[in-house]
Amino acid sequence: MSSGSNGARRIASVLRPSIAEPQVCRSCHETLVRRNYSSAATQSSTESISTATPAYPVVKPVYTIKAGVLLSRPPQITRDLTPFEKAYYFYQRRLNERLALPFTKYFYFKRGTPADEDWKRKIRERQTPARDIGKYNAYSKEAWNDELLVGSVESEPEHQIEMLVQDAEATVNATSQDTSKKEEIPRPFPRVTEADKANDQKSLNRALQRTLYLLVQSKEGYWRFPNSPIAQDETLREASERTLAQAAGVNMNTWFVGFHPVGHHIYNNKKFGAVDEATSTQHRGEKTFFLKGRIMAGQADLTNNAQNLKDFKWLAREEIEQYVPPHYYSYIKNMLADR
Amino acid sequence: MAASESSRYLARSLPRAFAPSARPQSICLRRNLSDQASSKAAPADLEELESTGSLHATPSAPDAVKSFDPISKSRGRKKQLPRSRYQFRSPKYDRGPLHPHQPPKPSDPSSRLYVPGPFSLPRVEQTYQSTVTSDILTLCYVHNPPGFKPPPKAPRLRSWDDSSPYHKNRPLRGPRGGDVLRLLRKPINFNNIPKLERITIHSYVKKAAQDNSSWLHVAGMAVQAISNARVETFKSKTSVATWSIAPGRDSVAVKAELRGEDMLHFFGKLVDVVMPRIKDWEGVKGTSGDSSGNITFGLEPENVALFPEIEVNYDMYPPKMIPGCHITIHTSAKTDKDARLLLSALGIPFYGKMVD
Repeated sequence: MSSGSNGARRIASVLRPSIAEPQVCRSCHETLVRRNYSSAATQSSTESISTATPAYPVVKPVYTIKAGVLLSRPPQITRDLTPFEKAYYFYQRRLNERLALPFTKYFYFKRGTPADEDWKRKIRERQTPARDIGKYNAYSKEAWNDELLVGSVESEPEHQIEMLVQDAEATVNATSQDTSKKEEIPRPFPRVTEADKANDQKSLNRALQRTLYLLVQSKEGYWRFPNSPIAQDETLREASERTLAQAAGVNMNTWFVGFHPVGHHIYNNKKFGAVDEATSTQHRGEKTFFLKGRIMAGQADLTNNAQNLKDFKWLAREEIEQYVPPHYYSYIKNMLADR
Repeated sequence: MAASESSRYLARSLPRAFAPSARPQSICLRRNLSDQASSKAAPADLEELESTGSLHATPSAPDAVKSFDPISKSRGRKKQLPRSRYQFRSPKYDRGPLHPHQPPKPSDPSSRLYVPGPFSLPRVEQTYQSTVTSDILTLCYVHNPPGFKPPPKAPRLRSWDDSSPYHKNRPLRGPRGGDVLRLLRKPINFNNIPKLERITIHSYVKKAAQDNSSWLHVAGMAVQAISNARVETFKSKTSVATWSIAPGRDSVAVKAELRGEDMLHFFGKLVDVVMPRIKDWEGVKGTSGDSSGNITFGLEPENVALFPEIEVNYDMYPPKMIPGCHITIHTSAKTDKDARLLLSALGIPFYGKMVD
């Protein structure tokens, strides 16, 4: 995979006359014509046949090849459970409480310690060693009544977290020497952030359960993924790295996933350009190939961008649909993650 | 002759015309843009379908919700229900398929084989589905241009060259350079992305043979605590004279095997709680692995004590008896390189020379 051999191969492929069909790209063509020593003898005969020029001029369509960047921030937290999942997991937990062997208290609490006293008080209250399944005695006569009634909150994850934290606080306060002050155990951070409430679409702290993608707005007002034409002698990966640096600045810690594009977009001009007589080519439009990237830290910054961009947003899949034209979305929708 | 022929045909074809056919002739299933009647009929059929999925709770009537109290209803019952109404016992013995009393399926909570679970949707699983799979798919993509044919491969088992008459009916020869047939690595596509299959925690306690069995008991409790799975004990297979271990006599090892939810929770704790707190730890060695996608590494006793289940209850373990352990992560990858790609995506660091 050294670049030196790659470059040599590319030069060799340019010098060699083309024999393959035109829809195969340069590097693929190189793969196809690379042969073993055994088949090298047959190569010369095929070349002499195919180099015959066609009788009539054929107009070759030419597209501008562009590199695009699909920069994404992966989901940061777990997703919200559906009501069915909540109910199912809760039911399974109570069922486990009924079927499992009793909790071995003597392994965890030495007799006569404050922790043991605290345990006795708690088990009297909630009747079960599990802290997040509500008040339920799995060994009583009424253990069959393990289903929740309508409107009860025991299966909600927020309620379960609250119960766990309160339990930990009670343990800390009961076993600490200093009885005058109450200790507070920090709650987990909220799953809905300030940026969510303000719907700040420039913030990376928004929609923590979803994958967010970087979209930029051109001076004309079109929303797109960052893209730019590939320069001469530049690989797709290099071009997309350059594109990202030119469009959104270098103040981002990013990682590009692999060297292959994950999607493409073809744009055909409304009016085709004039046919170039010398090369018999006609410019038809542009093709953009998107490389996937992940942002680890930092934020996009458009102040010194070289691509005439005026705005950027971090958007989830459904939000992208509202910003980009339907034709563009039909190309990109399959490379966006569901979550 | 001819008249009788035609009457026979008529007699045969008449009942066919009046018989109710399975395919109704009057309703044409093909719909054209022009015929409005059939296009109007379609929504009427769709009305029978539920508009919402079964995953969303449908609100019940408020008075029915208020009056529903199973406990007071059962307490107010004058006579007890017959036992068969509330207590089903699965038959203890399998009396064959023709016996009228058959045990329920193992997935039925009343079965004796029923194991409850899952109890949660593990975070590692969600990260894997949402982030890791698509990245691995992108990283492992190999572009084959149209018209590309892969070069033919030599057979994995070589045949004999028939230079000797004794070659006849011999089994095929093994591959060159060793007798081991490696796993075949297929190109990775959307339906064979490597994933975690199981995790084995194994702890060899040599003191269990030298001192007494309490070492093994503590090791078993510690491994059970960190893994949430029952451990198995094993006797030594080899003789180690310096540790006075004889094969088949001394129980010296405990092992827990984790799958599914237990495995994912253990993996999450290992990667996010324990590994960042290990002092001066470079990572898992790049040379680790059995060259078929399973990676093993070891944890010292002081690292095992970092697991939250042991840390919260540290005083209950005799401090010198907490065991070290070997953790083997079995993945569905066919080579170590793919397994390392998966594990490093899930957060395990690797260092040193990478051996595939």
